[in-house]
Amino acid sequence: MGKKKGMTAAEKREAIWGWAFILPTMIGLIVLNFYPAIQTVYQSFCKTGDFGKGNIFIGLGNYTKIMADGELWQSLWNTVKYAIIEVPFSVVIALLLAVLLNRKMKGVSFYRTVFFLPMVCAPAAVAMVWKWLYNQQFGLLNNIFHTKTAWISDPKIAWISVAVIGVWSILGYNMVLFISGLQEIPHDYYEAADIDGASEVRQFFNITVPLLSPTTFFIVQTRIIGALTVFDLMFMVMDKTNVALSKVQSVVYLFYQYSFTNGNKGMGSTIVMILVVFIMILTFILQQAEKKLVYHA
Amino acid sequence: MKMRKLMSLALAGVMVLSLAACGGGGSNAPASSDSGDAAASTEASAGGSLQVNIWDNNQLAGLQEIADEWSATSGVTAKINVVDWDNYWTLLEAGASGGQMPDVFWMHSNTAQMYMENDLLLNLDDYIAADDAIDLNNYYEGIVSLYNSNGHQYALPKDHDTIALLYNQAIFDKYGVETPTDDWTWEDVYNAAAAISEAGAADGVYGYAINTSNNQDGWYNLVYDYGAQVITDDHKGTTIGSDAGKAGMEMMRKILTVAAPQATVAETGTDSLFQSNLVAMITQGSWMINSFYKAESHADYKWAMMPYADVNGNGACDKGERWSAYNGLGWAISASCANPDAAYSLISYFCNEAGQKKQAELGVTMAGYKGVSEEFANAFEGMDVSPFVRIEEEGDLYFRPYTRNTTVWEDALQQQGAFLDAWQNPEDPAVMATACDNAQAIIEEAIANE
Repeated sequence: MGKKKGMTAAEKREAIWGWAFILPTMIGLIVLNFYPAIQTVYQSFCKTGDFGKGNIFIGLGNYTKIMADGELWQSLWNTVKYAIIEVPFSVVIALLLAVLLNRKMKGVSFYRTVFFLPMVCAPAAVAMVWKWLYNQQFGLLNNIFHTKTAWISDPKIAWISVAVIGVWSILGYNMVLFISGLQEIPHDYYEAADIDGASEVRQFFNITVPLLSPTTFFIVQTRIIGALTVFDLMFMVMDKTNVALSKVQSVVYLFYQYSFTNGNKGMGSTIVMILVVFIMILTFILQQAEKKLVYHA
Repeated sequence: MKMRKLMSLALAGVMVLSLAACGGGGSNAPASSDSGDAAASTEASAGGSLQVNIWDNNQLAGLQEIADEWSATSGVTAKINVVDWDNYWTLLEAGASGGQMPDVFWMHSNTAQMYMENDLLLNLDDYIAADDAIDLNNYYEGIVSLYNSNGHQYALPKDHDTIALLYNQAIFDKYGVETPTDDWTWEDVYNAAAAISEAGAADGVYGYAINTSNNQDGWYNLVYDYGAQVITDDHKGTTIGSDAGKAGMEMMRKILTVAAPQATVAETGTDSLFQSNLVAMITQGSWMINSFYKAESHADYKWAMMPYADVNGNGACDKGERWSAYNGLGWAISASCANPDAAYSLISYFCNEAGQKKQAELGVTMAGYKGVSEEFANAFEGMDVSPFVRIEEEGDLYFRPYTRNTTVWEDALQQQGAFLDAWQNPEDPAVMATACDNAQAIIEEAIANE
């Protein structure tokens, strides 16, 4: 296990070139990710000055203040509620679509494209369109169903309305991941099941679901993180004076409000740090669960 | 195989395009100004181009026309970019922190103090002293002093604005209600709104519409009419929670009981409702005239002077009973501008008497220069906008309330825990009174933290 001694000239050259090749990515990561991340940690302990100047270190001041404030916990709860709708629905519906579209039938690529399209649209544009669909007075939804529902202004349902947009937007992406997962399942299993006389439903639950579980787990995990960092939907759909906003706004929305509208970068950083810790804990739990839930063939 | 490659290329192309579209549409500023800044810094050294940022699309055409005139004499081009209000400040702050500000841009009372104190704006003292075309005594005092910090001038007054009552003649005629006059009190507004909302209920027409975000162009004015102040003259306090402040907001509450519900106003917007001919009256600022002047049913839209509050009950409008907020933007130059001489020459061109006259004639906005209001009143053929000008003589003006970090309390007042509660529950006077107390506390806390 000699470290440097054992390196031949060729190995050394290779190592140097290896570093040279990853250097651009490393620099990018350090400048654009690591440095800002460290700055965020530091600023969360500061009462920040205007324009990034004159930061005063105040220890845990921001943390005690924001944690005593109900707004943060309400936003965290809103975000969790959003995730509870977005993640399961987008995963289950996408899985069903993927199974249906993973067969030999006419126009498969057309359907796949249609379901994938929302993913290609700019999120801001998607949110704008939904905002007008939901409009209480002039929206298409209320006009079709002859209702007067305040889809995005009633605190009781606004969070669901927003989550529906989230599900709709992410469906195509999850579906594509599932299709690629499905194609990796060897066909022999299904043939064997056919011979044994297993129904299609039985095949789905006993072959497809377990063999797809690594893909499912990957999607669930990335979607949970994605859902917990949601921002654009709330920002675009809800007006600042919408009465349901406080029951819908996500943690990142709260962060935006503090950091950019109120110019309080320190408090904004604190909110983000709390979110990061929350996501880290959740990811750890999920990683533990993986060992039990995921079937590795 | 080839087909698949082509498909994936096409897909990748679409995704890149949608990314670009996101940058261009969602927060349209960054994309356009990044390239613009790069262009400006390379060309400015050659004396070629200035980067100008504003937030009002209604003013773009007129200002670009004036800027092009200036370019013809100076040989320097000025490229005006419009960035919407919210993103404008996010972008400007990011630019200020990172040293990438546009050369010339608008300043606003909400943030001026912060920018001036941090030396981000070019000190204009020497330029003004050497410039025969600019004498600060010719401009509205409040605007000049707003952009003055520690005795130094950091921006030239671009314009000023006032507030007026906008009504839809056709709706008043349809329901047989008398149209607003200059003698109207807020009580008259209430009666008319009540009559229209009742008669128009079947058509979905409301007599009045106002959101909590209509502050400068809305409920602030009632607070002043009844004798209170949103921010006191020294910018260190408020009297919104006083009896007078509560009386003003109580009048507002009364009108809200016959106005469009808050949820409707928040989802659709008062301006959209008005332009859809579903609302009979709103109050609006002079900077919005263009948008209504160009609207489909503009022939029905008429302006009247802001109503007054007959506080002493003598049946006439006395001094201190009719108020309009006024505000003025400033043309400022970045302290790190590569070509400050050209930049000053441009803002001097915008702000000297001829430039201000031209701005008024083109109907861009009312001038920051005193004595050219006539030109502005005449700019809108077929629409009488004189109520904006007349209130300066027949009423009182107060400067738009601001403190060092205005947005903090201004936003909080519009949301839950403050006036949004009262807007949601207009029937209950106690909610509005509590909202006034909460507002008092919010403003005081915000000022204490500044």
